[in-house]
Amino acid sequence: MNDTIGGEVARYATAVRAAFADLPGPDRELLLEDLEDHLQEVAAEAGGPLEERLGRPEAYAAELRASAGLPGPGPGPRRRRSLRESAVGDRLERLWRGARAHPAGGAVVEFLPELRPAWWVLRGYLAVQALAVATSLLVHGDGLSFPVPALFGSRVLGLLATVAAVAASVALGRQRQAAGRRVRVLTRAGNAALAIFALLVVLELGANEASDDLYRPEYVTSYRGPLNGLRSDGKEISNIFPFDADGKPLRDVYLIDQDGEPVVVSSDDSPDLQREVPLDQDGNLVANRYPQVQHQVDPATGQRSPGPTPEFQPPPGPLRTP
Amino acid sequence: MDTTQLLKGVLDLAVLAVVSERDGYGYDVVRRLRAAGLDDVGDASVYGTLRRLYSGGHLTSYVVPSEEGPHRKYYALNEAGRAQLAASTGTWRSFTDAMDKLLGTKEAAA
Repeated sequence: MNDTIGGEVARYATAVRAAFADLPGPDRELLLEDLEDHLQEVAAEAGGPLEERLGRPEAYAAELRASAGLPGPGPGPRRRRSLRESAVGDRLERLWRGARAHPAGGAVVEFLPELRPAWWVLRGYLAVQALAVATSLLVHGDGLSFPVPALFGSRVLGLLATVAAVAASVALGRQRQAAGRRVRVLTRAGNAALAIFALLVVLELGANEASDDLYRPEYVTSYRGPLNGLRSDGKEISNIFPFDADGKPLRDVYLIDQDGEPVVVSSDDSPDLQREVPLDQDGNLVANRYPQVQHQVDPATGQRSPGPTPEFQPPPGPLRTP
Repeated sequence: MDTTQLLKGVLDLAVLAVVSERDGYGYDVVRRLRAAGLDDVGDASVYGTLRRLYSGGHLTSYVVPSEEGPHRKYYALNEAGRAQLAASTGTWRSFTDAMDKLLGTKEAAA
């Protein structure tokens, strides 16, 4: 390894690490554990000093932070803003004004008040449905009965209640203009509650329908299944430990399948277990030599210790074959 | 158009696709993305994306010795990573279809 390159990498890495000083130690280690190795690779490729090729360490750190999905190194949590002054609020308001300005949008906005009587009818119906669901929670009942609500298990009662509730709701709607402030606030709260209830009903009905529709072949066709990997009884195998007839563990064993192809284990190891795959003289992976060396990695410190080796006792005495 | 802005949205998908083709270590993934035509891809972005996908459980890793220096940490797709790749590919396809249609009609009208 070239000394000047090593020094340059170390300086650059130190500057990048300094920009992550706000992260807790284990998080920082998890993010930056390969940084030096990685920079070493970049530096090994000819083409001028690191800073020229990767930019300033601070900019490098900022890009790394953003792509790793970490928050910026700000001074603590920001003050929460209300919806009205937030960017979402601004956007909603602009959207509303834009819709009114557009001829078609304006026509819709003008038409909205004409829908009011329809809402009054729907409101009465929703109130009875809400009551039906509430009572079915207390007394055993049908829960959501569609389209006619069942009150105390009776659809006749539900229908009568609906007629009465719709009449009351329409009457309330017609005289609301004349009503006092208190009635208006109460009505608004009730409307909001019923609208939320209606949304839940739609979601519930939609969920029943969607469960028939869960299988989405357009995604499944592009999923070719595991390209490599080894399974036993559906469980992924990530390492193999051969033993001889005396129960002595064997090392450096090559495994091939019925066609003479190498047996390669799944790469599905757990994040705190690190396997090493050796290379041959030409630099090719030797993936079917077992057992593969594995290390236990402590997620907090990044320290590696020799990985666990499973125990095995062969059956005693000579074996019979049929 | 500024491709770095576009890249931000699809870097996960690009990295998953490169790793699904063949396991790779950090700088190798950068090189293969650039060789595929994504010249503007930032080294730090790829490094950060790999670390995030790894801690998010979409990638696994193993270490391979290297002649030139420290051993290399190779990343491989696991079951979750492959599912993520399949789902994101579907999203990407429908998005580009929509954009193609949009741009196609604009061109025809002009």
